[in-house]
Amino acid sequence: MTVSITCTDLTLRFPVYGVDAKSLKKALARVVAVGGALGRHAGVTDVTALQGVNLQLQAGDRLGLIGHNGSGKTTLLRALSGAYEPDEGTIDVHGRIAALLDLGLGIDPTATGLENIRLRGRIAGLTSKEVEDKMEEITTFTGLGPFLAMPVKTYSAGMQARLAFAAATAVEADVLLMDEWIAVGDAEFQKLAHKRLLKLVERAGILVLATHEAPLLRLYCNKVMRLDGGVASEVVDIRKLDELLARDAPAVAQIA
Amino acid sequence: MQTATHMLRTGRRGGMFQLQMALRDLRNSFGRIGLAWSLAWHDIGARYRGSILGPFWITLSMGLMVLGIGFVYANLFHIDVNTFLPYVALGIVFFGVMTGTINEGCDTFVQAAGMLSQTSLPMFTFVWRTVFRNMINLGHHLVIVVGVLAFYGYWRTANIPLALVGVVLMILNASWASLLAGIASARFRDIPQIVISVMQFAIFFTPVFWPTDRFSSHRAVLDFNPFYHLLQAVRGPLLSQPVGAHTYVVLVSMALIGWTVTFAIFARTRRRIVHYL
Repeated sequence: MTVSITCTDLTLRFPVYGVDAKSLKKALARVVAVGGALGRHAGVTDVTALQGVNLQLQAGDRLGLIGHNGSGKTTLLRALSGAYEPDEGTIDVHGRIAALLDLGLGIDPTATGLENIRLRGRIAGLTSKEVEDKMEEITTFTGLGPFLAMPVKTYSAGMQARLAFAAATAVEADVLLMDEWIAVGDAEFQKLAHKRLLKLVERAGILVLATHEAPLLRLYCNKVMRLDGGVASEVVDIRKLDELLARDAPAVAQIA
Repeated sequence: MQTATHMLRTGRRGGMFQLQMALRDLRNSFGRIGLAWSLAWHDIGARYRGSILGPFWITLSMGLMVLGIGFVYANLFHIDVNTFLPYVALGIVFFGVMTGTINEGCDTFVQAAGMLSQTSLPMFTFVWRTVFRNMINLGHHLVIVVGVLAFYGYWRTANIPLALVGVVLMILNASWASLLAGIASARFRDIPQIVISVMQFAIFFTPVFWPTDRFSSHRAVLDFNPFYHLLQAVRGPLLSQPVGAHTYVVLVSMALIGWTVTFAIFARTRRRIVHYL
């Protein structure tokens, strides 16, 4: 099986529901006020998060996503994970997907580290037995030792990152989607994480990483793509990162 | 590994396509039914973590409630405790599971927001999680049901098959209501309050605590109360009371209509639910 990601003319719009739109009273009031003709978008703002994104990745590609806050990086990752469905175009992903977008995925703060690893493994598609088989490897990798028997709510952000990262990458995934929180954790953990990520990519996987940090991009990625207001640039080699970043200048100047 | 190795998402629209996708969601949820079961057990474990009795607190608190209400109401209504206590016990247990499934349905998607926004897990997985969690609760209550029936001499093994039919009908109906509550609650913040209020009203309007013969002059309260039929289909057989054929007609048609309407709503809103959260 070949691992690949293909996005064709991917457009994603989604409604953002304000407090007003979440209120049944206001929704009903509108129906009464407008005499039954409820405006379809009343109180709801439609946001175009991605517009005509084309993307083609193959095994061994490590793509860095750059762009300002709100440029659509996370939305693209969520779309690739299968959580958001496109409004237009298609997303076609071959391979097992693991998304590390949010430290909180499947993490129950009141449960212990061990329980959370089990839960995370089950969510990722492992059977209970497979989870138990991997348990030792995961617990060793977290380096959390006796803390694993304690509730996750007592963990620091770095410890939570270790737990989540260890549990998520223990599942053999072909496509790893990551948001920038990978920068969490101490130097020692970052080194471990780095080794593990490289191993994953060597197994002919794909990595898509969204981050603002150029050093992180240079460390992990061999390709880079820029998003601006949901519009994607072409995918370029990491060596052209500075060039791609430099394109920023005029746009920023305009706003300023 | 059961993780999908191919994911294709398109911007296609249209009723037929949305229905297809909704059916696929349902099918995929059956493919990973074990996950829903694990999540449900995780919830039960989380609720009673570190407590001495663990999930058997469910049994104990329910047992105390049954005893309390059984004895007090038997005296208030001047009814024989021997007939009234089993009646109330079954009423509270099964009505509780029904309301639990529907009330907790409000949280189904809200609670799963984190998972829904970064995985392609089927939505129905979380619906089954809520339903299974309440089935596990029912499992713990069965100790009371069996105990009370045996103690008061109502246990008839021959009654069990018909009672099971009632349980299945109850689950079928409670689960569509649970899904509907989940979708509506994700979209509108008022829905959980409304659902809880309605269910609270229903528990007093349904013969859970009071015997039906007291209300014989107001048959409509029973005949047009779906909760009465839901409860009667389970309680009747267990107490060796006859259950009218119209009860089954009501329950089967309610399940069919309820699932059809709810599934249509689910098909329409499925891809938006994640944005509601």
